[in-house]
Order: sequence, then structure tokens, then C-alpha cells
Amino acid sequence: MSTLLACDGLSMRFGGLVALNQLSLSVNEGEILGLIGPNGSGKTTFFNVITGIYQASEGRVDYRGQDLARMSAQEIYRAGVTRTFQRSRLCLPLSIFDNLMIGNHRRLDHSLWFNLIRRGAFQAQFEGQYAAAQALVRTFSQSLSVRLFEPAASVNMIDRRRIEICRALISQPTLLLLDEPSAGMTHEETRELMDDILIVREHMPGLAIIIIEHEMNVIERITERCIVLNYGQKICEGPYARVAADREVQEAYLGTE
Amino acid sequence: MTLGLLSQYVFNGLMLGMIYAMVAVGFTLFFGVLDVIKFSHGDVLMVGAFTGLATYLGLEALGIDSPLTQLLVMTVVASLSMALLGALIAKYLVLPLRLAPPLNTLLITLMLGSVLREVVRLFYPQGSNPKPFPRLLPADFVSFGSFTLRADSMILLLAGFAAIVAVHLVITRTKLGLAIRAVAQDAETARIMGINFEFIVLLTFAIGSGMAALGGLMNGLYYNEINFGMGLLLGVIGFSAAVIGGLGNIYGAILGGFLFSALQSIGAVSLPALFPGTSTAYKDVFAFAVVIMFMAWRPTGLIAEKKSERV
Amino acid sequence: MKRLFDPASAAPALISMAGVTLFAVLFLHAESQSAILGLCIGMAVALFLLARFGWNALATASFAGHSRTAQASVVAGVLVIAAVFYDQHFPLLMLASVLLYIVVCLGLNIQFGYAGVVNFAGAAFFGIGCYTAAVLTNHTALPHLLVVLAGGLMAAVIGSLLILPVLRTYGHYAALITIAFGILFRVFLEVNDALGGPQGMKLPGMEIFGWKLNDGLVFGETEISFYANYVLLALAMAAVAFMLVRRLERSWIGLALDAVRLDETACAAFGIDVARWKITAFTLGNFLAGLAGAVYAMMTGFVAPNSFTFGDSLILVSIVLLGGIGNPWGLTVAAAVVVMLPEKLQFIQEYRLLLYAGLVILILLFRPGGLMPRQVRDYLPGWKP
Repeated sequence: MSTLLACDGLSMRFGGLVALNQLSLSVNEGEILGLIGPNGSGKTTFFNVITGIYQASEGRVDYRGQDLARMSAQEIYRAGVTRTFQRSRLCLPLSIFDNLMIGNHRRLDHSLWFNLIRRGAFQAQFEGQYAAAQALVRTFSQSLSVRLFEPAASVNMIDRRRIEICRALISQPTLLLLDEPSAGMTHEETRELMDDILIVREHMPGLAIIIIEHEMNVIERITERCIVLNYGQKICEGPYARVAADREVQEAYLGTE
Repeated sequence: MTLGLLSQYVFNGLMLGMIYAMVAVGFTLFFGVLDVIKFSHGDVLMVGAFTGLATYLGLEALGIDSPLTQLLVMTVVASLSMALLGALIAKYLVLPLRLAPPLNTLLITLMLGSVLREVVRLFYPQGSNPKPFPRLLPADFVSFGSFTLRADSMILLLAGFAAIVAVHLVITRTKLGLAIRAVAQDAETARIMGINFEFIVLLTFAIGSGMAALGGLMNGLYYNEINFGMGLLLGVIGFSAAVIGGLGNIYGAILGGFLFSALQSIGAVSLPALFPGTSTAYKDVFAFAVVIMFMAWRPTGLIAEKKSERV
Repeated sequence: MKRLFDPASAAPALISMAGVTLFAVLFLHAESQSAILGLCIGMAVALFLLARFGWNALATASFAGHSRTAQASVVAGVLVIAAVFYDQHFPLLMLASVLLYIVVCLGLNIQFGYAGVVNFAGAAFFGIGCYTAAVLTNHTALPHLLVVLAGGLMAAVIGSLLILPVLRTYGHYAALITIAFGILFRVFLEVNDALGGPQGMKLPGMEIFGWKLNDGLVFGETEISFYANYVLLALAMAAVAFMLVRRLERSWIGLALDAVRLDETACAAFGIDVARWKITAFTLGNFLAGLAGAVYAMMTGFVAPNSFTFGDSLILVSIVLLGGIGNPWGLTVAAAVVVMLPEKLQFIQEYRLLLYAGLVILILLFRPGGLMPRQVRDYLPGWKP
């Protein structure tokens, strides 16, 4: 198994606040890695740095020979790294299909000539995209896949979460970052969603996933390895069972006596 | 240019700067508590000035002709009624759109500004003509060579200064101010801590709008003339001043107000000198051009706007 | 209603358009204020009743299913109105003005309906087109088609001076910058003697390949108003602009613009270049405004600073908001109403800004989508999965 992403000495400071402190970690191809830690431990900041929304204060993020820490959000997306957000960031007035296509931006032709004049060619591209979008959504939900032209605002929370994950998957990334996918959902819904993610992974061999999650049973069920952050530092690493038994991790969550 | 003329320019600039700062403080207060821009602010100022004028005419009709009494009553009536208007705007136009896209708040207050302008133009007796504003301040003056220091200007300058200091003290030293700052920091948390969010917002809008009314009166007393369109330009200038200083920051707003008037003075003096034949009317063109360039260079102003978006 | 008409046929759309055309003819024909007021109230009641009996849904479905036929019927309607008033200057001038306003508002619609870039200097960009035409026709022998193009390009280029501050800042600053620009533009015109100062400039009528638009056609006894020429030209411009804006919306570009408006952070995460699309939208919109301005100036033969006030910019914004932000059909209807109503109903003229500003406030509070809210994007009209 080869390494897909390797961070080395990654730090992120906001003024005096150190959100990530000399973080080093690696992700293998095709792996599901859990990222856990108490609130404010730097998990989402890590995602924001990897995806170029924040510019790292120092350190490098090696990804297939490129340094993500020096690239813009756009370039990182084009290199095959996509994500979901902790708070849903769908464009609610737009249709479900529109939202999915936002995720596939890099594969669409955006020239004025193509879009305004060559409508025949546009139709061919549109039909191809529609078929792909429908096939992807169908693996998550049959009922959702026939509602692609309804506004995203018209579907419930779990379906919105599914759309968000499909939006991140439709461009066939090599690294998917899931930021608390279970937030705001019941246990049953979360379980369904995780089943879907596991199915998707079977269809996309090589896809690596980093998942931030507070639901420990989710982490236990789907991750192969976990990394625990506290105050922006890695305090523990290993399979869930071992991490959960670690004294330092328990102290980080419960506080020291 | 003589020293006397120069000091005249400086004094005039200070006067304008004070009025701009008073408008800018309003913009900054509203932005602070609610992250909204109330574009009708300049027109509230104009309505305040007209309210003052109407009050004066009413007092004259009643036979009350002591300038001091007239001035006090005008100030109280104009600032209280504008405070009420500001609170009403917040309650019925701004707060209902809190969850809508920010563009809508901007549009609704912009349209409200037009409504206020048009109402004064159409329904105030001969509202479309400029109105003479009474001279109520002592006309004494002291001359230093070619420079004349007028008592009325000094009084206005001091009054404006006192108003800004008063608002500043309310915000930094009182419990009420603490609540306003808490809401500005984090509305949700403030609400959980038991602060009456809506009340604080309405109050802030009332304070800012009352302040605008004072600015309107000062403007009238200084120029001895008001017109229905004066609020539009003053509003845009006040907003620019708040932006130059950094939205959400009171010191920034005051600084921005004086900077803008300095720019206008520089434009008025240097443009005709550098390019003979250019009109001094270009001073506004010059000042705004500098503001536009400044914003391209430093979008968040001299004292940076707070930015807190959770991703 | 559904029993009487098949929503899948083109009939409801055609009947609607015929009704609208008939109303427009009667409205333009009416002379007395009471007759005009009566017509307006009658139309309002009729629209209300039709909506109650489900006609609107029927017509909307029919329009959507037969967009080509429906669009052709709108063009035919305008031609019919022009034919009825063939020898009268005033109705034809108004008709051409409405069509040019539609072009400007289509531009504004790209800017803040799609990309969310606010522009409160719409009248100023229109004015740039007007003054460019005035200067070029007075001082050069440039063919008039190129003059019109230059009007559009000039507006786009001057707009690009503002783009840097607009890009680097958030919505409310962009609003400030465009308002300041609009006010400055007028001050600049008033004090600039080379451009005629407050009196403005005169300019000649338009001529395209020897076709003098200011000459009325004469067929024996019948004389056709020269404004009919401008109606034809403005109609062609409005139709092309409408079609292109419609295609823009129904494309990946339209999607990218919407995404830029709705969530810049999500855009960044999916590689959408926010700056590129804001620039595209701002430039295209100003280009359309300048284009329409150049034709308008040559049609009226006169430009003056007073036609490009902040109030005029607000009226343009009102048209887009009242019609339904993002919906080209909505702004078409709104432009017709907003431009023609005060011209015909004299007592409104003085109060029009108050009226429209008040209406926009009500719309924003109670029906933020406008009178004809935009629907979910339909990439290919009539396409079914």
C-alpha cells in the first residue's frame, strides 16, 4: 500500500492562537482514516488547510508529488481532493442536479462559445452528466435519483447530506474529506449513510477517505486507522480499539483529574 | 495661499469631518450589531434636519422666539423622532430580513432612502426647493488677520465632539454598552446569556439615527440651508468614511470622517492649482476616486473589519 | 381550466399573448386618464381572476413546453402593436424605449440576478453608452453600427475600472462603490464643458448601411413614423439579448454564476473561479447597458446628465426586483409596466420613484422572489429525463 498524502510539520496559527501545531501524518491509498479529538482540537482546520481554504503557516502536505500547502483551493480540487462541510453548504435554491454539477466543475466546458452557441454539443455533454449523476445518486437512494430537478431545499436532512457527499464524489476524487457527516442525524440515518459510503468505496477502488466524526461507533465500524488530535497536535494513532484504550486520549476527552 | 486662508480651509474641513464622522458612527454601530448596512442613514439625517426646521417654524408660530429655547426644543424633537424612526426601520424592515440574503437588507434600506427623499420632496411644502435654515447661534467672531473664527462654528464643532464622546462613553462604560458590544461580538451567545437581542438592536438603531439627526441639524446650522437631496451624498460619504476606517470600529469611523473631508479639501485646493481651469466641483470626484482606489488596496479599511465565518 | 385547455398544447400561451397584445393596444390607444386607469384596474382584476381559476399555471406550463412558439408570439405581439400605431410617434417611441430598457435590465439581471454582483450605477453605464454615441457621431464618421458597439465596449471598459474594488470586497462595499460611481458620473458630466455640461449634447439619427432610421417611410398616402425603424432595431436587439441571456442561464456558466452568488466558500472548494465569473457577469451586464444606451441616444437625438441620476439607476433595479430576480420574463413584463405606466397615467409621473421604491419594499418583505419568481434551472427546454 503506497502513501497518498503525507503532512510534515504542518502548523496553522491565527494571530496568537495555534490551531495546528507541527502536525505530521500520512494517509494511504484506498484507506479510511478517522480523525477524532475534542472540540477545538484542530480537525476542521486541518481540512481547511489541506483544501486550500486556509494557507498553512508552515510545513508541507505532500500529495502525489505536489505540495498542497502551496496550492490554491482550485488547484487542489483539480488535483482530486474534495470535501463535505460540517454545516451543510448546499445551494438550497438550486436543483439537486445543479448542486451535483457544482462538484463536477472541472469536467465541464465553460467557454462562452460552447455554452451559448454550440447548443447541440452542450446537450450531449449535459445528457452524459445527467446519466452519471443519476447513477451515482442511485447508489445512495433510489427515490432521490428521480428527483434531481427539484430544489435542494425540498429534501430532508439526510438526503441533503447524501447530495453533499455525491457532490464531493462526482468528480471521482482520489481523496475525500468528510467533516462530521453524522451531524444532525439520527443513529439509524447515520448507519444508512455509512452503508452507502462503504458501497461507494467498492465502486471506487483507490479512493482514500478521511472522516471527522464524534460518533465513536461510526469510527469503530468504518475506519481502518484513527488519528487523535488535541490542541492541534497528534496524540495517538492506530486502530480504533487501541486508540480508545489509550490513557492520554481518554484524558483529552474527559479532562485530567 | 495665505496662512489665514489655509486655516480657514482647515477649520472648514474639521467642521465637515465632524458631520461625516457622526454619520459614519451610525453606519459602524449598525454594522457592528447586525452585520447590515442601513443605506437610508443619510436620508434619516435629512429627515432629521427637516424635522428640526418644522419644529422651528412651529415654535415661531407659537411666538417662542428665544434662540436657545428654539435650539434645545429642535434638537430634542429631531433626535428623538429620528431615534424612533430608526427603531421602526430596524423593527419592520431590517430584522424581518435577517435570514434573507444580505443583498435584500441593502436593497430594502436603499429603497427606503428613496421613499424618505421622495416623501419630503413631494409632501413637505415646496419640498423640492432648498429651504433656508435659521441662524440660531451667536454670530460673534474673532479675527486673526485674514482668518475669522466664528463662534457658531466653534459651538457646532464642540457639540459634535460632545455627541461622539457621549456615544462612545455609553458604549464603553455602561451596562447597556456592554450588551451592545456582546451582541456585536456574537449575537447567539449574547441571546443565550439573557440579553434581549431585539431590544439591543432597536436601541442601537435609535442611537445611531438620533446621532444622524444631530448631524442634520449641524449641517443646517452651518450652511443655513437644507434640501431634500442632501442625505444621499452625506450617506454615501458617511458610509465611505466608515469603510475607510474599518466597518464596525467607532474610532475607525471618526478617523474616516476626518480623512474624507481632508481628501475633499486637498482636492478643492490642489486640483485647480495643478490643472488650471478645472472646477472645484471635481473635489468630490477626486475624494471618491481615492476612496475607490483605497478600497481596492485595503478592502477591510484601516482598522480591519471583524470576520468570523465558520467553514 | 384544465378541462377546457390541454396544458401540453401551445394554445394557452398563444391566447395569453394575444390578450396581452390586445391590452397593450387598448392601453396605448386610450387618451383620457379615467379610461387608462379603468383599463389598468380591469387588467388587474382580470389577472387576479385568471390566477384564481388556474390560468397562470396553465400558461406557464404551455410557455415552458413551447418556448420557441411562445417567444415568436411575443415578437409577433410587439410587431402587431407597432403596426396598429404605425403613424403615431409617441406610442412607438415608448415601445422602443421599453425594448431598450429590457436590454439594460437583462444586463443587470446577469450581474445581480445570477452572479450576485450589485450594481447601483445601471443608469450611469447606460449613460456611458449614450455619451459615447454622442461624441462619436459628432466628432467622427464612424459607421453607426460600430458606434453602438463602441457604446457597449466603453461601458464595459469603464466598468472594468471598478472591478478590482468590487472583486476584493464584499457585497455592501460593491454597492457603495457603484453608488459613488453613479453619483460621480453625473457630477463629471455636469461640470465637463466638452460634453456639453448640464445642457448636454445633440446627436444625429442613426444610419445603418444607408438605411436612415430617422426618415419615415412613405407609401403613397400613408406615412409611417420613423420611430417604427427604431422599434424594429430595438426589438431585434432585445430578442437577441434575451435569447443569449436565456442560454447563459441554461448552461454551465449560468450554474457557475449562481454558485458564486450563493456560496463563495463552496465555490473555492470545487474549483470555481469566483473572480472570473464576477468579472464576466459585470462586464457582460455593462456591455448590454452601454449598447442600449447608444441606440437610445441616437433615437432621442439628445443626451443630458439629468437622465442618468441615481434615481434612474434605482428604477432599473426596481424593474429587476419587481419582475422576479433572475427571471428574464419577469423583467420584460416589469419593464413594460414601469416605463409605460407613468407616461400614460400622468398623475403617477411625479410619484413614480416613490411608488416603485414602496413597491420594492413590499416585494422584499412579502414576496422576495418577485411577482414572477424564477424557477429551477431547466437546461434544455422541453427535455425530459
